[in-house]
Amino acid sequence: MDMIVHPALLFLALAIGGVGVALSIPRRRFQASLVGGIIAATGVGLLIVGLGGSALSGDGTLPSPVFHVLAIIALGSCLQVITHRRPVYAALYFILSILATAGLYILLAAEFMAFALVIIYAGAILITYLFVIMLASQSQVEGQEEGLAEYDAVGRGPITATVASFALLAALTVLVFSGLKDIPAPDAARVAAAEMAVLDRLPGKVEKALAREGLIESGEIVVGVEEAQGVATAVVRGIGGGQRRVALPESVSVTNTEGLAFNLLGDYPGTIEIAGVILLMAMLGAVVLARKFAQIDEEAKAAAAAALAEGSTTGGQGHA
Amino acid sequence: MLDLFLAQSAFPQAMGQGVLAHYLFVSAAMFTLGLVGFLTRRNLIIMFLCTEMMFQAAGIALVAFSRYHLNYDGQTFVIFVLTVAAAEAALALALVVFLFRKRDSLSAEAWLEMKG
Repeated sequence: MDMIVHPALLFLALAIGGVGVALSIPRRRFQASLVGGIIAATGVGLLIVGLGGSALSGDGTLPSPVFHVLAIIALGSCLQVITHRRPVYAALYFILSILATAGLYILLAAEFMAFALVIIYAGAILITYLFVIMLASQSQVEGQEEGLAEYDAVGRGPITATVASFALLAALTVLVFSGLKDIPAPDAARVAAAEMAVLDRLPGKVEKALAREGLIESGEIVVGVEEAQGVATAVVRGIGGGQRRVALPESVSVTNTEGLAFNLLGDYPGTIEIAGVILLMAMLGAVVLARKFAQIDEEAKAAAAAALAEGSTTGGQGHA
Repeated sequence: MLDLFLAQSAFPQAMGQGVLAHYLFVSAAMFTLGLVGFLTRRNLIIMFLCTEMMFQAAGIALVAFSRYHLNYDGQTFVIFVLTVAAAEAALALALVVFLFRKRDSLSAEAWLEMKG
């Protein structure tokens, strides 16, 4: 197999990372969180350096320095999520890793998904998690250290879990790094055609852009976008009804949100319906789970209601 | 610095395979951390948090491939991953609250034995 990173370097880096992660998992006697974190970061750093070297000698492209900062923040806070003994802090660190991931999405020119991730994950899902952590926190028990529950303070089989997981990571990285060369480069003609198809559905946007550049006069309207002699042109209808073609300037391009919107609503309308059904079923399931609990105490609730009614009537008589 | 940042963001430009490898590695490492957490932690809430982390790792790989192929399908799929994650969070948390009220504990090991 021909890997972009030397196998020895890959496995050494993964082994170092695994030792670091295994060290930082909570244990009965000690938790070497800082030392483990540093060791794991060394492993990841070694692999990133190897990757960077191979990328430079390959096609000469490197991710921007911003990528490295965001990747370190994301992976570091993920390590904190799985090693922190206090669930509230784990959830807060997960929010940090989501913010770093949103940064990675912006680097990947996926602005809409970056904002959706922050709003849905950090804004909605994680806040629900925080609510439940606070709702389901145990009352403080005497004799436990720092008020921590035993199941939060001690991990379960750290060595086995780490070895199994890093074996999976080794398999994944070996597959990815050896098969990367076989991934074809994007077809420029197909990408340009897809962009033109989106612009064809947005005549208003094209018209505004052309009017701003002074390429069409007021009163002329854009009826479509199509290819002519290898360049993208806008079909413009004049006031008299005659049509002419105007070559699209460089400034007219599809934004991420527009492209994603037409892909989502144009190509996958049925999937949206299914997603709606999934959300509805989840909502129904949550309601059913909550109701079942109320039914268990139905008798106690009736007794409490009767007692309350009794109390209010006697209270009312007392006032009178 | 800003030039580097913007040069990579320009969408029509193709992304190199070396850059793709970096993103895929971050994705795989995050998935592994989520798996380690799911296997070692004993708190039900943290275990579900770790599954969310694995969803997020899959999302990074999808968006990176979407960027590499200059195709929006990957990002569209991330929207559905978010949907499933939201549905899972709602159900899992309802279940956790239900279980917590029964045993007064969030430990996964409180449920080693179940009546059929």
